Amino acid sequence: MAFRVVHYINQFFANVGGEEMAHIAPELREGKVGPGMAFETAWKGEAVIVNTIVCGDSYFAEHEKDAKEQVVAWVKEINPDMFIAGPAFNAGRYGYACANIALEVKTQLGIPVLTGMYEENPGADLKDKILITPTANSAAGMRKAAPTMAKLALKLMKGEVLGASCEEGYMPNGIRVNFFEKERGAKRAVKMLINKINGKAFTTEFPMPNFDRVEPGKAIPDMSKVVLGLATSGGIVSKGNPDHIEASSASHYGEYDIEGWDALTAEGWETAHGGYDPVYANENPNRVMPIDVLRQMEKEGKIGKLHRYFYSTVGNGTAVASSRKFAEEYAQKMLKAGVQACIMTST
Amino acid sequence: MKLELGFIKINDVQFSNECAVKDGILYVNPEDVKAFVYDHDDCKAYIKSINFDIAKPGESVRITPVKDVIEPRVKVEGPGGLFPGFVANVDTVGSGRTHVLKGAAVVTAGKIVGFQEGIIDMSGPGAQYTPFSKTLNIVMVCEPVEGTKQHDYERAVRYAGLRAASFIGGAGKAVEPDEVKTYETLGIKEGIEKYPNLPRVGYIHMLQTQGLLHDTYVYGVDAKKIVATLLNPTETMDGAILSGNCVSACDKNTTYHHLNNPVVAELFEEHGKSLNYVCNIITNENVYLADKQRSSDWAAKLAKLLDLDAVLVSEEGFGNPDADLIMNCVKNEKQGIKTVLITDEYAGQDGKSQGLADSDPLADAVVTGGNANMPIVLPPMDKVIGMLDYVDYCSGGHAGSLRPDGSIEAELQIITGATNEMGFNCMSAR
Amino acid sequence: MKLPHRIRIITNNPLVNTVLSDWYKVEFHEDASYRDILVMVRDMVYNGYELMTHPMAGSVKPNETMYKSIVVGTDLIGTNLEHCNLMMNALITCDKFKPLGVVYSDYHIKDFQLIDYTLLCGALDFDAIAGLSKANVNSY
Repeated sequence: MAFRVVHYINQFFANVGGEEMAHIAPELREGKVGPGMAFETAWKGEAVIVNTIVCGDSYFAEHEKDAKEQVVAWVKEINPDMFIAGPAFNAGRYGYACANIALEVKTQLGIPVLTGMYEENPGADLKDKILITPTANSAAGMRKAAPTMAKLALKLMKGEVLGASCEEGYMPNGIRVNFFEKERGAKRAVKMLINKINGKAFTTEFPMPNFDRVEPGKAIPDMSKVVLGLATSGGIVSKGNPDHIEASSASHYGEYDIEGWDALTAEGWETAHGGYDPVYANENPNRVMPIDVLRQMEKEGKIGKLHRYFYSTVGNGTAVASSRKFAEEYAQKMLKAGVQACIMTST
Repeated sequence: MKLELGFIKINDVQFSNECAVKDGILYVNPEDVKAFVYDHDDCKAYIKSINFDIAKPGESVRITPVKDVIEPRVKVEGPGGLFPGFVANVDTVGSGRTHVLKGAAVVTAGKIVGFQEGIIDMSGPGAQYTPFSKTLNIVMVCEPVEGTKQHDYERAVRYAGLRAASFIGGAGKAVEPDEVKTYETLGIKEGIEKYPNLPRVGYIHMLQTQGLLHDTYVYGVDAKKIVATLLNPTETMDGAILSGNCVSACDKNTTYHHLNNPVVAELFEEHGKSLNYVCNIITNENVYLADKQRSSDWAAKLAKLLDLDAVLVSEEGFGNPDADLIMNCVKNEKQGIKTVLITDEYAGQDGKSQGLADSDPLADAVVTGGNANMPIVLPPMDKVIGMLDYVDYCSGGHAGSLRPDGSIEAELQIITGATNEMGFNCMSAR
Repeated sequence: MKLPHRIRIITNNPLVNTVLSDWYKVEFHEDASYRDILVMVRDMVYNGYELMTHPMAGSVKPNETMYKSIVVGTDLIGTNLEHCNLMMNALITCDKFKPLGVVYSDYHIKDFQLIDYTLLCGALDFDAIAGLSKANVNSY
């Protein structure tokens, strides 16, 4: 019997319409629709698309929770061997939807999932969590992407062990897999060196961890006149988490007024962070955001003044791109308020 | 400096009452080899017995624990002899002519300490990871004299292998090679005149230098005690650099690797075409941080002094050598010398961990020999040369690694040369 | 041999204590684990003592050997960020290796002591073999 697949696509690929139809809610259709054809051709009967789910990109973006619930409910009902989304190529919202719905299905139902998109698509942020086949940046890349995705999907449905990302056609996902190259290491190294010397493109076999390091600012010789700002990825928020900062993969940050607080108390503050045991942070939030000692230093004249607000988000699983966006925003707020130095605490 | 290598293709190895090469068959008389080995104070004092055996590709044979692998070679013309400072005098080697018994190897085995050391499987799933499953191996299992200390035993076994390989290599002295290759690098001025438009490339060759079973020797000198220095690439082909390390066998360079340094070979392939291969800079991987700084400073200083445009850097080992590797990279990149690194990874059995203990964004061109933590099961072999009782305790082994049926469940790091960081193998990881 | 001035050896290796305490200031922590030694030295380095040897010497993995010896300065010289990083990375690396569950015999334990000792001697440029004359080490 052939493997059964559910395929997720957007309004555009389902021929419903363009941007003007991006608002449509998810609908369930029988069999393959649009790009599903290319997969079935490649599977040669070994797998079939039993249902296609069509959802507007705006709808997904604006009603993410509802969309996920509906899709997961259908997929659970259908109980397929595999869930495929896209490919989305360079369509940003479609890529976001494909990656997030695939992750949701994987997490909720535990079935294999696969999507495909251009490497710079924001949805590709999730490449460490779900398998994503890299594609060209336009739908013209379908001809090349379909066989790769189809082959990879079959392997997943058969439960075969996956080879290295470059062999199988998925984006490097942080899991290192050994394989045999055609040429020995020394030859590959010499070729890489010649390319590097000549300013030609080369691809490292071992990408260094993504540091995105920021050079620390110049040392401040006299802190006694400085307005000091505070920020944390440790999730310290006002009691009750009024801004609803997510316990993981935070989508925003919060700004908290500490005017009148000599220290953070368990009654007034807590952590929203879901990635560490919160007991000690909740017991004494100063352990993560040390207002107590800083107020003391303020009194002693060791620092000029504490900035009235601190900024807080949850670092747990939060995308680097999101973090950068948060920081760019609140750094501007601090600069405007005359903050000259900032302590960032983590967990 | 110019060296001719004459390759004598060896298709079979047999024990005999003489040492000779006839029609591609290497005949070895163990008694003659033993006599030559024992003509040395350390071997005489510390080695009780040497058992010779032969292991051929495809056989159901496991060799373990492997100390070193050495290719039999002989100096035919030119100054010095094989393994200067150890077997021959310290004359500078690397010129004239050397004959190589291609396809043959001497493998030494012996349990120096109660853990560690490598495995060579001649067939089965483990064979594809070690280059020495493809060589005709003359294996020497060396038993120590009672009361011998580990340092003495290690040194004696090292000498025994080197002496045996140079004695056996002697059988090729008068044999007409099947193929002759010439390797030549030029002096600085000559090179610039001959190749005015080619980028000047050097090879920073990092040597593991830390302690017992973690050492490398250059012209008889413990490389811990050298400062970074220059070598003509051809010197390595005559045994200027020797292995004294085998702990975590996957990424340790045996003497065979040094003699057949793939970086040297591949740079020679491009020499005069796309680059001008200037020389090797050898440097060490000491434990003392000030030594690390000095050695990497000096390696970078020499690269600059030689006006190199680019360097290829090969690492040996894992953990603290990662710090040396990154220093060698960063210091050169910062002075405008482009670098490519060869390393391996310890990314955990699941492949999810950070594979290097140190890193830097400037290390943007890296070749990897693969993840040494990859789990592997080696089925039992009909014959074991050496001993298996240490396997639970060795690098890459764990409790129950050695199963009752003789199969071994371990990590790739147990296999000699599996993730070699000179780029000897085709294996990689993504 | 590196001069003993202003350096001390933090170790849990009895062989190092036996042999090198005649020559160097040895702080011997008999009951400390490999990881405990790393933590101790990390805290010293965070507090401004100079790190003299790389914490990940040798190729015997942290989940194999139980011995660790690290050389640290005796004077407070201020926090060195690079050295802090080294210590942090060493701990991360150490925690990456799962315990193997092997029970070692005395013979193996002595060999682990020996390797750690020779790595330290290598760092200190101390004659490892000469030092062993006063120690009880394995022989065949």
